[in-house]
Amino acid sequence: MTAILEWKGHRWIGLLARVYLALVFLVACWHKIRHPDAFAVDVATYQILPLALVNLVAITLPWVELGAGVMLLVGFRARAGALMVTGMMLVFLAALIVALARGLDMSCGCFASQGAAEDPISYRTVLRDLGWLALAVYVLLLDRQPLGLDSWIAGRRRS
Amino acid sequence: MGRTSTNAWRVGRDALIATVACSVIGLAFNAIRSDGIPLVASEAYDLFVPCPEPLGEVEGLAVTDPWVQDDRSLRIDARSPEEFAAWHLSGARNVPFDYLEGVPDEVVRQVAASGAVRVVVYGDGGNPDSGRELARELAGRGVRHVFFVQGGAPALRSSGREVPTGGAEEPR
Repeated sequence: MTAILEWKGHRWIGLLARVYLALVFLVACWHKIRHPDAFAVDVATYQILPLALVNLVAITLPWVELGAGVMLLVGFRARAGALMVTGMMLVFLAALIVALARGLDMSCGCFASQGAAEDPISYRTVLRDLGWLALAVYVLLLDRQPLGLDSWIAGRRRS
Repeated sequence: MGRTSTNAWRVGRDALIATVACSVIGLAFNAIRSDGIPLVASEAYDLFVPCPEPLGEVEGLAVTDPWVQDDRSLRIDARSPEEFAAWHLSGARNVPFDYLEGVPDEVVRQVAASGAVRVVVYGDGGNPDSGRELARELAGRGVRHVFFVQGGAPALRSSGREVPTGGAEEPR
């Protein structure tokens, strides 16, 4: 078990997973930051949050996505970024499953505000999010010495 | 073990700090941007999420199918009352299909209790076809032997096999 955890290949697989997740979240946050009004409608469409919290989530969530994406991309506090992504993916998955269980015919609102006809939620959306969750957990648990700013800063401290 | 828990604590702490910091930046940016939104919505959002209706699977009939003209078929016109008034199959009943509102229970009961061998629905022939959608809804709500006419009213009219208008029930 220790040998698996200590395998050096995790650095490179972790790097790929980090960059991929970072790009996903940076792309995802772009439209939401530019159009908070449209994203608020997407959040409200899930019919989970009380009206008082819809706008607050629509304003802050894209910036948390941006922060996590940047942290993962540059390797600064990368495991913390992975933890943020893990938390968000768990919340997104719960919202998706609730919406599917209610039979809501709607778009996921993950990347851009589209109609249900163009981007309907389905169990394929759940599988996709599960894949991203697995990648985030991988980075969180196994990317022990991530390549990026963290390792560069640690190297400078040692020297 | 101690080092692992310390690292986990640090990761959690960093994630919390980053989350709070990003949220504060988002709130500040929203406050200064010209197209920012209020922190709390004053009115509920007008959502366009059709209520799920139980939908069944239905089979399409060609306009030339004998069942379309069969007297033992209950013919239903899913178009608007105006379109129905302008033209409809003889003996057809008008049940305008609305994508947002389901068919009233009373109408479903009447169709189910009509005694017809089958129910043949035709609509606007569009994409989606209101006739097919209404047929699916009727089938999903327990009406048996429901079919729809492929191409709807336009196909029926252009086929030259139309039954002259008349003898229809009043639209609801």
